[in-house]
Amino acid sequence: MTRRFVTTKVEVEGREETKIVELPSREPAPWGDDAELHVVGKSVPRMDALEKITGDARYTADMQLPRMLYAALLRAPVARGRVVSIDLSPALALDGVRGAVTSDDVPDIKLDGISLFDHTIHYAHQPIAAICADSLEIAERALRAIEVDVKLDPHVANAHDALSTDAPRIRSTGNMPRRSPRVASRGDVAAGLEAADVTITREYRTPVALHTALEPHGAVADWSGGFLTVWESTQGIFMTRADVASAFELPLSKVRVIKNYMGGGFGSKNGASHATYAACALARKLGQPVRCIFDREGEQSDAGNRPSTVQQVTLGATRDGRLTAIKLASTTVLGIGGWLSGPGKIYHEMYRCENVHTDETFVYINASPMNSFRAPGHTEGAFGLESAMDVLARELDLDPLELRRRNYADADQDKGRAYSNKRLDLCYVQGAQRFGWGRARMRKHDTVSRFRRGVGMASITWGAGGGPPAYATVRLNRDGSIEVLTGAQDLGTGARTVMAQIAAEVLGAKVDDVRTVLGDTERLPFASNSWGSITTASVGPAVRVAAEEARDALFDAAAGMMNTTRDDLESHDSEIHAKSNDQCMLFRDVCETLGDVMIMGQGSRGPNPDKTAIAAFGAQFAEVEVDTETGHVRVLRIVSAHDSGRIINPTLAESQLEGGIIQGLGYALFEERIFDEHIGMPMNPNMHDYKIPTMADVPKIDAFFVGAADTVANHVGAKGLAEPPIIGTAPAIANAVADAIGVEVGEIPLTPWRVLRALLSPQ
Amino acid sequence: MRLIVNGATHDVTAPAHETLLSTLRDRLELTGTKLVCGRGECGACTVLLDGISVYACLTLTVACDEREITTIEGLAHDKTLHPVQAAFAEHDALQCGFCTPGQILAAVALLKENPNPTEDAVRRGMSGNLCRCGAYPKILRAVLAAASQDTAPDTTQDAAHD
Repeated sequence: MTRRFVTTKVEVEGREETKIVELPSREPAPWGDDAELHVVGKSVPRMDALEKITGDARYTADMQLPRMLYAALLRAPVARGRVVSIDLSPALALDGVRGAVTSDDVPDIKLDGISLFDHTIHYAHQPIAAICADSLEIAERALRAIEVDVKLDPHVANAHDALSTDAPRIRSTGNMPRRSPRVASRGDVAAGLEAADVTITREYRTPVALHTALEPHGAVADWSGGFLTVWESTQGIFMTRADVASAFELPLSKVRVIKNYMGGGFGSKNGASHATYAACALARKLGQPVRCIFDREGEQSDAGNRPSTVQQVTLGATRDGRLTAIKLASTTVLGIGGWLSGPGKIYHEMYRCENVHTDETFVYINASPMNSFRAPGHTEGAFGLESAMDVLARELDLDPLELRRRNYADADQDKGRAYSNKRLDLCYVQGAQRFGWGRARMRKHDTVSRFRRGVGMASITWGAGGGPPAYATVRLNRDGSIEVLTGAQDLGTGARTVMAQIAAEVLGAKVDDVRTVLGDTERLPFASNSWGSITTASVGPAVRVAAEEARDALFDAAAGMMNTTRDDLESHDSEIHAKSNDQCMLFRDVCETLGDVMIMGQGSRGPNPDKTAIAAFGAQFAEVEVDTETGHVRVLRIVSAHDSGRIINPTLAESQLEGGIIQGLGYALFEERIFDEHIGMPMNPNMHDYKIPTMADVPKIDAFFVGAADTVANHVGAKGLAEPPIIGTAPAIANAVADAIGVEVGEIPLTPWRVLRALLSPQ
Repeated sequence: MRLIVNGATHDVTAPAHETLLSTLRDRLELTGTKLVCGRGECGACTVLLDGISVYACLTLTVACDEREITTIEGLAHDKTLHPVQAAFAEHDALQCGFCTPGQILAAVALLKENPNPTEDAVRRGMSGNLCRCGAYPKILRAVLAAASQDTAPDTTQDAAHD
């Protein structure tokens, strides 16, 4: 068989890449809405729930190996400067301390452009050494015994200072990435504004938000005969393997990365971290396994973040509410490194408009680098765009929902491609209906009472079509039990369950007979990082193909035993039936008869369709109550309607929506890294002063899907769903607050003092 | 000193400053109890001390001499899940699972104190246990479901009294 390789486009976290892909052995007909499915689409219970509710699930931070040592990271106490000297001897002299590594002992590699354990300090809390001891307590005590002499240099703490002419140059390439500013245009915005009957301009601000995964970044490293095993809390075992192998100059075959369970990622855990390199270097130096886990302060100060933005938005529209121009000038403060995740893209995608111009500046300062955080860019951008849309609606005296519907985009206008499937219109209709939008909007505005209620909404889009490469193997054991093997990760999303459902569907197996094995580079075929809401749409089709191959092999074997042909067979509940002669065999019987002959199928993800754009959509509605005396905002309820194509498991998918909305609620109301610009230090790197939502903060949430299978996107019909819900929450809540108090706050989080300041500002 | 952990007695020699969390995780290798913030901010290390919920990261081991400690590993009896555990699984009250042991033990303690809580009481009572995945709506549902299950006979009696 000749294998064919083609190229295809895959979008991840707002970035479209061209990838080479091998055409799969088969490309099954898409499961359309009329497909008769028995397991897919059912709320099968989460398959790893039992381990998690009994405490049996062993996370990276729980790994204990014989002779294992514990490492802790020494972090820079200042924002910028030079380490003149590090005296480790007082620490090494302590009982139970086994060794340390500094920049001299670690591979010469860069993370976010900074050499590992660099003696030049680029940001506060930058790791500069690691120490290792018999217990974590001793390691932490040893950290305090290390004597570090630091020479301070002037630091840069905000965008304005970074771009001023006399600013110190804080990176060799300058205080901006090479590609900043990034300008993207279509049409002619000046002409569009000229043609507008109404023009509004506003400025919006968003904070630095912290992922705050409950399990910190961390790794356990174990060398054995030149072979390195790493347990890592990661969204990408293969990316981590590549990072580690490259740093330690090992062939990929001599590094094994394992991640069975992980305590949250949200975009922050994509490859090897300082903890990984420290554990590997110390373990190699000391000849014992080493565990290195960030402490909470490290996790909250140096594990990536959602960068802050300032967005100047101008919208132009005709009197009847057709957008004629969308213009954005934004500044994103990346910290000392990171990638160009700007708010601009959603301004191009969300609404039909011929004239769009975004000018995004990205700035370096002496603070820890950003990283992708659930729907990076779009979450920040949606706050600006959707807040401005509400201002425009008020100017035009139009219902905000009606304004959005009048600017409905049928195509991705930048790419010039129609959407494979877009049911945002249904999200608007059903969301508004379940929320009671029309009724709520009719309510007379109260300008007297202390407690005032308001409603708001926001639209959502996110490129979540997934794509290759992704591989899966499905195999049947001699007792008829089934394993799905794929190197994807389950961050808590439910991927483990979803993949088992797809395999069970194809095989006609009981879902309880299927087990999904994830997270081990040595044993499993490649799947990419679990990011960008791509896992189901990327890996799901590969599992389907693998299961089809396995089913065909199983049926071929059974046909001989049942005196018939493969075409005559059908299966359900792990039983095979012959239509012609009423014979029936259990999977178990067929497999037992075969003995150790393996029934196995291989599958891979095919290319994405040409000339189409694939995205998930949604519409979110919020009602709030504002205490005008204290400025306190209480969210009363949220309704969120989503189009994410086919939903494999409704309950697990609903859990993802609720989780995204709750993170969005934190972003809207209280989450904000506080940064002391004078000393360049984060002031709240803990969970007491950096507030994430508690159960008491969470309103009634009605999150649901309107979509049906997207048969153009891929043959499973699924699109991504984990990131979209967070995109709409902050703007929906902010718009509801503006509706309640009659004035816009313009900046999140909507803390009481910001709300009070807005209330007191001259109208 | 002597700790009674999940019904089993352990003689432990720990320094005076050692936390119960350290003793459980590092000495007894009961890693179901999680270290997240280490300073009483998140509730992930919640265990039961003589039936009352405590943060193991803020509890000194020396204060637990001759006392009964229940961790997540000891909640199920003879492989039968505790009703709260079963309710968490049934209602999908977890995602990544890292806060789950603490959530479950906090719920067990809450229901012991108040077998028939209102929704508001659960929201308040559980607000010391953070979940970053945002499983709260389903945790709430699971706790209320476990409560109604636990108190089903009691409810009938209450009704009779009314």
